[in-house]
Amino acid sequence: MDLLLIGFATLATVARVLALIGLSILTGWLLAWLAIKNRTFENAYVPLVNALESIPVLAFLPIVLVVFVSRIGGVLGVEVSADFLVFDAVAWNIWIGIYQAFKTVPENLLEVAENNRLGSLRTLRLLYIPHSIPRISSNIFSSFADAFFYISVSEVFSITVQGQPVIYKTFGIGTVITLATQAGDYLTVYYSLVFIAIAVITITALISVFSKRAVAKYGVDTVGEIHRGRHYGRWLAFHDQRQRLSKYTSRLTVYQRRQRPIQEEEDEISANTRHRRDMMGKWVALSAGAIILAYLLYSSIALAVSIPFQQWMGYLTSTPFLLYNMAVDYVRVAIITAASLGVAITLGYYMATHARAGAVISPLIQVLAAFPAPTYFPLIYVATLPFLSAALPTFYVEIYIFILGFLSCFYYIFFDFWIGVKAIPSEFWEVMQNHELGFFTRMKRIILPATFPYLVTGLSSTINSCWAGLAIGEYWVLISPNHDLIANVGMMKYISLNLANGNVGAAAYVSLLFAVVVIVYGLFFTRNLMDLARKKYVVEEGIYAA
Amino acid sequence: MTSTLSAQSILDGAEKEPEVRVELECHDLSYAYPNGKLVFKDVNLTTFEDELVAIVGPTGTGKSTLLRCLGALLKPASGHVFLQGKEVVHPSSKISLIHQSIATFPWMTALDNVKLALKCKKVDDKEATEISEKMLDVVGLKGVENDYPKEMSGGMRQRIAIARSLAASPAILLMDEPFVHLDEITATGLRKEIYSLVFNPETSLKSAILVSHNLNEVVELADRVYVMNGSPAKITDVIKIEFPRPRSPKDPLFFEYADKLYSDLNLKEIAP
Repeated sequence: MDLLLIGFATLATVARVLALIGLSILTGWLLAWLAIKNRTFENAYVPLVNALESIPVLAFLPIVLVVFVSRIGGVLGVEVSADFLVFDAVAWNIWIGIYQAFKTVPENLLEVAENNRLGSLRTLRLLYIPHSIPRISSNIFSSFADAFFYISVSEVFSITVQGQPVIYKTFGIGTVITLATQAGDYLTVYYSLVFIAIAVITITALISVFSKRAVAKYGVDTVGEIHRGRHYGRWLAFHDQRQRLSKYTSRLTVYQRRQRPIQEEEDEISANTRHRRDMMGKWVALSAGAIILAYLLYSSIALAVSIPFQQWMGYLTSTPFLLYNMAVDYVRVAIITAASLGVAITLGYYMATHARAGAVISPLIQVLAAFPAPTYFPLIYVATLPFLSAALPTFYVEIYIFILGFLSCFYYIFFDFWIGVKAIPSEFWEVMQNHELGFFTRMKRIILPATFPYLVTGLSSTINSCWAGLAIGEYWVLISPNHDLIANVGMMKYISLNLANGNVGAAAYVSLLFAVVVIVYGLFFTRNLMDLARKKYVVEEGIYAA
Repeated sequence: MTSTLSAQSILDGAEKEPEVRVELECHDLSYAYPNGKLVFKDVNLTTFEDELVAIVGPTGTGKSTLLRCLGALLKPASGHVFLQGKEVVHPSSKISLIHQSIATFPWMTALDNVKLALKCKKVDDKEATEISEKMLDVVGLKGVENDYPKEMSGGMRQRIAIARSLAASPAILLMDEPFVHLDEITATGLRKEIYSLVFNPETSLKSAILVSHNLNEVVELADRVYVMNGSPAKITDVIKIEFPRPRSPKDPLFFEYADKLYSDLNLKEIAP
């Protein structure tokens, strides 16, 4: 056992995850901006992101193999593969969160931006991006947790090629744990878990501080106190000072510009110029959308033509069976989502209304969320199997799948709801208190409608992430030294089983069927709900301060 | 012209007819921020039946905070609040607050916003609708019951908030600068109506407390004015405003009261 190696591996994984979260935020801003600028791009973007989010990390292995491992190859190919898989775990939920934040920017603020002719980029920088920060801060929790959830399958993966298992790995704590487990070196595994715990606690504490300040500063009229930098650490204080300095310098620039008569500037930005700029924005959006779609289409076709015709026929005839498997998994998803929603709402509300309890429970949930469930789930399994299998011999497998599914997705809805509750204006809380509204009336009339946009985000991510939990839970060979956890029926089991057997085409075909279902779901469900949230449930519009 | 009373004399009932009932009173009320800094200290305040009391003071003296302590929406550091002789320890719909930033729920119609106040009461939906419609009528919003707040002007939204407060059958109405976010014409109109609105025989209201920075508004509406000043703030004066309604700003007496309030607020030293 090498503690230094474990330490460096942990740092490598943390750096990888944080860098990819950063990349997700930057790309998320750009894509969400394109989506709100262009309806065509939006129509493709939203269902596509929903589809991508729903497809578990494991199902991306065929693309990874075709695109990165075989085409790029070598150390770089495997590193890019790992990055792609981690990106898949972190990006979609941040992307969709940013898009939804952009869609729910209060109308009056948009009018102010338009009125002051801020232009697209300045509106993005001064309005859309700040408005998205609370949503990002809530989504970072789950993205970080999700990335760590999948480190064991992202950093190291094994595929059967011509009957022989081939292992692809890159440096990180996920690889260390997997290889140590295979070698029976449990001391290394335990120490790795301790290092992960330290990293997770540190990062979640930092994210928690960021989230609290983000909601206080960027939420509209929240009860939180805005942090003014006085209590920042030295680095943050310096950063804050630099920001203030840059504000002053930018003001000077504005003053210099203002030396010219305002009328002149207004004349310069003629209606034609503005029209040209709008058109240019639309074309940029359309081009970006077309490039992304073309690339995805090319990759899909490349994969499709690599599979022989007879094999395709086999897949097609198995479609009804696969749809049945998918339906069973949807029932599992529905049960897990309902349980997650129930717990999230009750616990989130309790924490929001009991500040002290919230201060204790919140970091615990954050740490639990970020601690990869697959690393400790076998311990739960081993400890409870004798009782559960004796008590419920028919259902115990389903219960374990439920637990792992719940652990993989509960946090999404919980953190989104919690942040939503914290963003409810103080006046609303006072009205609830003043009129002595009971728990159910508060929930039905005020809290659920007020958090509706957050709940849509959370539900969407929860449903989508639940699939990933099922992917691990439905087919887990050697979960303990003498046991496998394998579901009787289920689409995720089918995918995992075929991947393990090297039948990449069959796994890809099911993934394709699944993607179609998810795209339809995105078109008819998520987008409509989001439109409803924007039209009716913008809590900020409830406070009128003329 | 002005009759200046000490807070204690009001509490003792020395200047009030003995048969007039005390509605809301607070004794030695203090409030401190979590860091221990006192906002106001030893505040004594009383309202009587059919009386509109105003609280004035410079920014930061804790007038809005005092209002929330009176409604038990905030817990005071020390002191007690009594409503009709009974100590107030929890928020209650008997003491209703109207916010400075007008708070209406955007996903509810005007009628549903008002009906919300009756959710904790044992009234069926039909009766709740009738009461709410009546209150919307009282505040002049008949015919727009099914409109959403975002389809309405600021003045109309504030009327919804007032109707919601009145629907809860409160004994006391707490108004935290209710006109500050309204345009002057709407505010003037609503100000003219507010006295008759809150003391309408159709409502259960016994007395109202108004926090305002607008001294003309205070002179126009209030029966008595509590002046807060200092840090931590204290009640430094209680002024009884006695001249018949409607009160015109052109009336010389109006000027005198406004001037008296202005002088009180500009006192640099606070009497011990």
